[in-house]
Amino acid sequence: MNIQVPSDVSVSGLSIHSAEGAIVSDVTLALGRGQPLTLLGESGSGKSLVAQAIMGNLPPELRATGRVLFKEADLLKETPGQRRRRWGRSISLLPQEPWLALDPTMRVAPQVAEVHRYVKGRAAAESAMAAKKNLSEVALSTAEGLYPFQISGGMGQRAAIAMAHATDAELLIADEPTKGLDAALRDSVTARLRQEVERGRLLLTITHDVAVARALGGTIGVMRDGRLVEYGPSERLLTAPEHPYTKTLLAAEPSQWERHPGMTSDKPVVAGCGLEKRYGDKVLFSGLDITVAAGEIVSIAGASGCGKTTVGNILLGLTNPDAGSVERKAGLSSSRFQKLYQDPPAAFAPSQTIRRGLRDLTRLHGKEWTDVERLLDRLRLPGALLDRLPGQISGGELQRFALLRALLLDPAFLFADEMTSRLDPVSQKEVITFLLEIVSERRVAVLMVTHDRDLADRVSTRVVELGHAFTC
Amino acid sequence: MSTFDNISFKRPKTGIGSARLAGAGLLILLGGFSIVGPVVIPSDPAAQDFGASLAPIGGDYLLGADHYGRSLVARLAHGARLSFAMAFLTMLAAALPGVLLGLLAAWKGGWTERLLEFVATVVLALPGLMLVLLLLAFAPGNYGPLFLGLALTLWVEFYRVTKTTTRTVLAQPHIEAARMLGFGSRYIFVHYVLPVIGPMIATLSAFAMATAIIAVSTLSAISVGLQPPTPELGSMIVELLPYYAEAPMHVLLPATLIFLLVLGLQLLAQGDRA
Repeated sequence: MNIQVPSDVSVSGLSIHSAEGAIVSDVTLALGRGQPLTLLGESGSGKSLVAQAIMGNLPPELRATGRVLFKEADLLKETPGQRRRRWGRSISLLPQEPWLALDPTMRVAPQVAEVHRYVKGRAAAESAMAAKKNLSEVALSTAEGLYPFQISGGMGQRAAIAMAHATDAELLIADEPTKGLDAALRDSVTARLRQEVERGRLLLTITHDVAVARALGGTIGVMRDGRLVEYGPSERLLTAPEHPYTKTLLAAEPSQWERHPGMTSDKPVVAGCGLEKRYGDKVLFSGLDITVAAGEIVSIAGASGCGKTTVGNILLGLTNPDAGSVERKAGLSSSRFQKLYQDPPAAFAPSQTIRRGLRDLTRLHGKEWTDVERLLDRLRLPGALLDRLPGQISGGELQRFALLRALLLDPAFLFADEMTSRLDPVSQKEVITFLLEIVSERRVAVLMVTHDRDLADRVSTRVVELGHAFTC
Repeated sequence: MSTFDNISFKRPKTGIGSARLAGAGLLILLGGFSIVGPVVIPSDPAAQDFGASLAPIGGDYLLGADHYGRSLVARLAHGARLSFAMAFLTMLAAALPGVLLGLLAAWKGGWTERLLEFVATVVLALPGLMLVLLLLAFAPGNYGPLFLGLALTLWVEFYRVTKTTTRTVLAQPHIEAARMLGFGSRYIFVHYVLPVIGPMIATLSAFAMATAIIAVSTLSAISVGLQPPTPELGSMIVELLPYYAEAPMHVLLPATLIFLLVLGLQLLAQGDRA
């Protein structure tokens, strides 16, 4: 792990302790000009804590030891007041999901101007001018007068970068900058971050998306269970990983998966004919024909906001089409058509334990509890999780519970609506592998919506490209 | 982002818990006084004894006597019972239709909701006091119109809160998921909607009772509510007011009782809101 990089920020022997013991132990890393650092890892791996220790906003019950050198100053020795004074001046944070971090009642330009006015202490007119310049630097001049809810996720992220420009901070910490963005927006955000590096800014990025780490280059650190398991230049680490976890992580990227062979199709389980949906006078799609047969996975691809989810909801009968018709195979009860949701916690009642929900479901449909136990084994879910609330279970496990819940009803058709978009790559691969196995075992018809083209190509029998009715 | 969520400062839960406890304690004491008091205290709240007019506190009469020589402790106990009973009835009469109509509007939507919304707006536009006075004009001094009038103004709040909250819950994906899994409206209501709106309705009920207590006392004080000699806290204040110079504590006693009743309810509601 001896690599020489010009180090403007160097962390050595960083450990973070809670009352119960160490959560992060002995992390040593460095970044410098032109050498951005990306921390990769699943949620709970401690990568965000490392960033917080550098930023200086660790929760009060946590304690950091070791050394964090930034321009010859040891940050961990500074008082909270001194550290706070660095925020927005020498260290700046790009928040996760910035469209939630922006003030919803304020237009974009004044929010940027506030940095000049109140952090830098400039005059009002001068601040407004400077804010305009910052926004034009990130190609956001058109959005000056818009409110945060009127701009897209990618524009929100650019607005956050414009604010970081306004602070003129040397060190930029980006926490999951591409969370919730589709592939095209993700690439535009990483390209923007790459430009920041080229302009001489120091960049530390936290992500679980290997594609982001690859695009940013520089140095990559892979974290797991509070330890830095592998650390090195991105070209070496991504092409010849040494640690088994890094290998798993890289193999979990959809583009590395084996192509799942297409199945021979039976009669369609559900078919939509000449479907049309409009919102106001905007036509989302029209004349859309789609059929899904038993044992096949059909994917719908397309940019966000193009009505992918609406197609699935129409096939499920949750939304009525403005034109066209849906036909289901005769003799199937409506409970055999199920949906898997994008945000697993939202698909479970927050105040009900998993056990309670499943027990009520088995009673309702006259099933036995042994059916649940069999499926728990099948999906490799530990029984101890049953007594927890949905909020206390990881996304990957909860999504498997959602699959279990659907499988209890012996589904004929499953609509998987971005079911893995909020999961880290390793969990995503697990969930999708289970889905594939179940499709071939039980001959379920699956309609999958995903913004990940690689994923769609690898697992589906067919991909339906939804028209570019409008760009997002 | 986890970074900033984690440092969101934890609210001091103990403060809210103790406020709620104090409110509950206060209400239990006052409730005991108003239920047990009228039974235990032998004196009739309407029995007059002119020899004991404005008797001082602590003498023959535990809390003194008013200008007609009526035992104040008996009158206060009966007054508290009346206030509690009126407040409780008013709250029930407001909450029941309010919650049921709110659920109906959230569940059905469309024309049902528009119609109910229109009625609610009309009721809100009417001055509450006017409504009560109007009903009282038909039967002065009766309990019926008084509590009906109050309930008519108070149900809107229950209706609006229930409707909005229920609609938010019903729009969540887990409700859609439950429907697709085959659960009926009854199950969804009991297991998913009730746990969310329950605490809110409890809070609103406490507030509504506090409002009702103040309204009943105020109306009696301006002599349009309950008529003497009914021992009502508001009318007691007004009756004793001319004797303030001789017996200031006597006037303050019913006022303090109203204050404590409302304080207890408000403290209890505060705890629920957290």
